[in-house]
Amino acid sequence: MSDKHTVTVTVTVNGQVYTGDCEPRMTLADFLRHECGLTGTHLGCEHGVCGACTVLLDDVAARSCLTFAVQADGARITTVEGLAEGEQLNTLQKSFQEHHGLQCGFCTSGMLMCATELLRENPNPTETEVREGISGVLCRCTGYDSIVKSVMAAAGDQRDAVSEAGSAR
Amino acid sequence: MTTTAEPQETKYTGKSQQRIEDPRLLTGHGTYIDDITVPRMIEGAVLRSPVAHARITRIDVSKAAELPGVFAVITGNDLVEFAGEQPVIWSVIPEQRIARAHALATDTVRWVGQGVAAVAAVDRYVAEDALELIEVDYEPLPVVADLEQALAPDAPKLYEDWPDNISGSMTFPAGDADAAFAEADVVVGASFRHHAGYGCSIETRGCIANWDVFAGKLDMWLGTQAPNLARDLLAQVLSLPVDKIRVRTPDLGGGFGLKFDFYPDEIIAAILSRRTKRPVKLLEDRQESFVSSSRARDMRHDFEMALRSDGTIIGLRGTAYAVLGGALGTVGSGPPWASVLACMGPYKIPNQELTLKAVMTNRSPYGSYRGWGMPKANIVHERLIEFAARKLGMSRIDLRRMNFPTPEEFPYFSGAAFTYDSGRYADCLDLATSAVNERGWNVRQREGREAGRSIGIGYGFHTEVGAFGPSRVLNMVGLDHSGFDEVRIRMDSTGKVTVLSGQSAMGQGTHTTYAQLAADGLGVPIEDVTIVTGDTESCPYTGYGTGGSRAATLGGAAIVNASGRLKSKILRIGAELLEANPDDLEISDGRVSVRGAADASVSTADIGYSAYRMLNGRLPESETPTLEEIDVFDPANMTTSYGCTALLVEVDRQTGAVTLLDCLQAHDAGVIINPLLADGQLAGGLAQAFGGGLFEEFVYDEDGQINTASFMDYLLPSATDIPPFHFYHQETPAPHIPGGMKGLGEAGTIAGVSVVASAIDDALSDLGVAVTEFPMTPPRLLELIRAAQSAGVTA
Ligand code: FES
Ligand code: FES
Repeated sequence: MSDKHTVTVTVTVNGQVYTGDCEPRMTLADFLRHECGLTGTHLGCEHGVCGACTVLLDDVAARSCLTFAVQADGARITTVEGLAEGEQLNTLQKSFQEHHGLQCGFCTSGMLMCATELLRENPNPTETEVREGISGVLCRCTGYDSIVKSVMAAAGDQRDAVSEAGSAR
Repeated sequence: MTTTAEPQETKYTGKSQQRIEDPRLLTGHGTYIDDITVPRMIEGAVLRSPVAHARITRIDVSKAAELPGVFAVITGNDLVEFAGEQPVIWSVIPEQRIARAHALATDTVRWVGQGVAAVAAVDRYVAEDALELIEVDYEPLPVVADLEQALAPDAPKLYEDWPDNISGSMTFPAGDADAAFAEADVVVGASFRHHAGYGCSIETRGCIANWDVFAGKLDMWLGTQAPNLARDLLAQVLSLPVDKIRVRTPDLGGGFGLKFDFYPDEIIAAILSRRTKRPVKLLEDRQESFVSSSRARDMRHDFEMALRSDGTIIGLRGTAYAVLGGALGTVGSGPPWASVLACMGPYKIPNQELTLKAVMTNRSPYGSYRGWGMPKANIVHERLIEFAARKLGMSRIDLRRMNFPTPEEFPYFSGAAFTYDSGRYADCLDLATSAVNERGWNVRQREGREAGRSIGIGYGFHTEVGAFGPSRVLNMVGLDHSGFDEVRIRMDSTGKVTVLSGQSAMGQGTHTTYAQLAADGLGVPIEDVTIVTGDTESCPYTGYGTGGSRAATLGGAAIVNASGRLKSKILRIGAELLEANPDDLEISDGRVSVRGAADASVSTADIGYSAYRMLNGRLPESETPTLEEIDVFDPANMTTSYGCTALLVEVDRQTGAVTLLDCLQAHDAGVIINPLLADGQLAGGLAQAFGGGLFEEFVYDEDGQINTASFMDYLLPSATDIPPFHFYHQETPAPHIPGGMKGLGEAGTIAGVSVVASAIDDALSDLGVAVTEFPMTPPRLLELIRAAQSAGVTA
C-alpha cells in the first residue's frame, strides 16, 4: 500500500545479492520466500518452535520466522537452495537420500540447515549429540531415527573425505 | 478374485530402492501449496468464533471492507447464496441425526474456531488486519464442554429440536455376550480415555481457488489426500458439474488423514474468488489449525472382557463414546465406528456386544487421523488382555498366543465386520519376543532394577485393516463413496513409461514404490518410469483417496495388473519385429529378446516407434496403435496386516516422566515393495502414537476454550523424545491382492499407544499401576503412582 512505510533490505543469499522493499513487519522467511523467490525455506508454525524455517544467518542457525527482514539487512544467508554442489547433492543431502531421512520433505530444509551447523561445530558427534542437535526441528513423518542415521553417516562421510583429501596432498 | 499377474522379475520390488522424490525435496525444489503463486492471486483469511456456543446477533463488516487492499468480506449469509452445507460422507449409524453446518456460520456458532466471516485482500498481512475490523456480537449460549457434560441428564442441548446430545447409537452383537459373561471365571474391565489430538502435519492445510464464471470453471490447487473426492464434494456443495472443476495437488507436507477431510476453507476460498474475480489463496496458520483441522482420537471406551480360568477369551462387551463436535465433519462418526469394529483385534472372541454412542459437544468437528479409530480399538484389546493376564497370573505373551486364530483358520471372521485374509500371528509374536531377548532388554531391565531404576518392557499386538475397501461393502455400511483404485500405464513412442494414478503423494514415497512395481511389471529400468499424480483432469479416478492403507495395496495391485497386460502387448509387437513367437520372448532391462538368445533383441524404443510412428510392417495388423492399459481394481476384501511391538521405557517415580529407551516391531504386511520405505512408515507412525500416548493433547476449559493452540502447549515429540527403532519383517502375502501387499501406513499409530501403557505398567509392576488414560502426561502418571503408593501403605 502506497501510504505504508517501507524499508529497503539487501541480503546476500547463497552468494546472490537481493535487494527489496518491504514493510518493517515482514519476516525474513517471507522476504526469502516472496521477495527472493526462495521457497525452499518452509513455515510450519510461525512462532519459533518447529524449526522448519531455519536458515544460516552469517553462518549461525536462525529461525527466519522470528527474524524480521530488516534485522538481516547486510547479512550473508544460506538456505537449503545453497547446499547442493553444482548439480550434485552435497554429502549431507546424499546421506538423507540414502538413509531415508525425509518423507514429505517439509521439515527437511530446517533439518538440513540445522545439521549443517551441527556438523561444522562438531564433526564427530555421538548419536545423543545428534538427537540433541536436531531437537529444535520437528518432524512429523520420520520418527527421527532415520534422520539421526543420515546425520551420523554424513559425519562419517565428511571425515572420510577430509582424510582422503589429506592423504592425496 | 481378480486374476493375478505376478511380476515376472523382481529386480526392484522388495529392494530398498532410494527415493526418486528426494533430490527435488532435498534441494528446496519441492512445490508445496504456499509455494504456488498464480497470476492475479490475492490472499484470504478467516474470522473464527472466539466462543464455543453463541448466537450471532450482529456482524458489521463495513470497516473491514473499507480497509485499503481489501477486495471482499463475506459472512455466512453471503456464502449460502452459492453454497450448500458441508458434506458428510460417512453415515455409519442407521437413523443417525446428522448435524451439518455451512462453511461459515449463519446464526449460531457451536465451537471455538468456527468460521464466521472471511476476507480477501492484497496479501495475508492486510487480510488479517481486516479481520480485526470486523465487529461481531455474540449472545452466549450454555456450553457443553466435554463428554460427561454432554451426557448429563440436564445437559444443555446443542440442537434444540433433538431430545438430547446423542447423534446416534448402534450395537454390534456376535454370539451371546450376556451368557458368556455370566459363565466367565474372570472378568476384567476399565474405562479407557484417549483425549483429543490431531494429525498435525508440519505443513498446514491450504488451497488456491480460481472460480472464473466467465470461463465457467473452478480451478483449485488443494493440499489434499483425496483430489477426486474433493472435486465431487466441491461439485455437490457449489452445485457445479464435476467436469467444470479441476483439482490439482501440489507436494504435500504430510497428510496423516488430516488432509483427507474436506474443509470449509475450500468453499470459503471458492466463494471469495467468485466475489473478487481473482484467484484466492487461503492458508491455515498453525494457531488456527488447532481449531480448524480435524480433531481426532477423542473417545472413551468402557469395555470388559470375559475369560475362562485357562485363559480362553469368551466375551467382549462395552460402549464406546465418540466425542463429536458442534457439527459433523466429512467422515462423520467413521473413525469411532472403526474403533468399535476393530476392538477384538487379533483375538478369537466368540461372544461380543459392542456399542457405539456418538455424542455432540461444543468442540471442533471430529475427523480423520492416521489409524482412523484403530489405535483406540488397540487400547481396548491390548490393555484388557494384559489386565486379564495379571488377574490370571499368566504370562501376557502366552495369553495372547493362545487366543490367536491359527494360520489354518484364515480367512477368519472377527465377529463384527472384518474378515482377516491371512496371518501367522504366533510367529510374529515369537519374532518380537526373541528380538527383545537378542537386544538384551531383559538384562537391561534386570540390571536397571537392581540399580533402583524403574525399567519396563511393553508389548502390544495390533491388526491393521487396509486395502480399504470393496466398494459395494463400503456403500452398504454407510459410505457415500467408493473404494476402488484406477491406474493408467502408458509406454510412449521412445519406449519410456508413464504411470498415472489418482493417489496422492504426501511423503510416503508412492512415486518410488509405484515405479518399482511398474519397472518390474514391464521389465524396464526404473529410470525409464515416470509417475504422475495430483491432477483430476489427467489422472484417473480413485475411490476414497489416499488413506486406509490403499496406495500400495490397491494402486499397487492395479499397476501389477495393468503392466502385466501391457507387457503382453509389448511382447506381441516384439514378436513381429523379431519374427518369433511371443511365448518365446522375455523383457529385461528394456530389451525384448528371445529367451536364451540375447543377441536377437529389440529395445522398448523400437516397440514404441512401431506402436506410435512407423506402424507399417512393424505393428501386427491385429493390434491397435499406442501402448496403454487401464486397470480398475476393486478388492474382494480388505487386507489385514499385523505386528507385535515392544517398547523399553524408564519411569521416573519422582516426576512421572517416561523416557522411551528403545523400540522394536515385528511386522507382517504381506509383500513389502521397499523395506527402507516400509520401515520409515512404521517408525513415523510409532512416533506419532508415542506423541499421542505421552504428550499431545487438546486441553479445553469449562467454556470450551482450547488452551493448547500453539506448539508451546501442544507438545509434538522431538528427536530427544523418540527412541531408536528396529524392524523385523515376515511376509504372508495377501491371497486376494495381485502383488500380495497388505499395506502398512497406519501400523505404527495403531500399535504405539497401548504399548506405552504396557511398558509403564511393567516398569511400575510392584505398585500395580494400570494406565488407562492418554496422553499419560507426567502429572497424570504421578497421580497414579501416588495413589498406588498410598494404597500400598494402607494395605
Ligand atoms: S516456522 Fe519458524 S520455527 Fe516454525
Ligand atoms: S519429513 Fe515430513 S515433517 Fe519431516
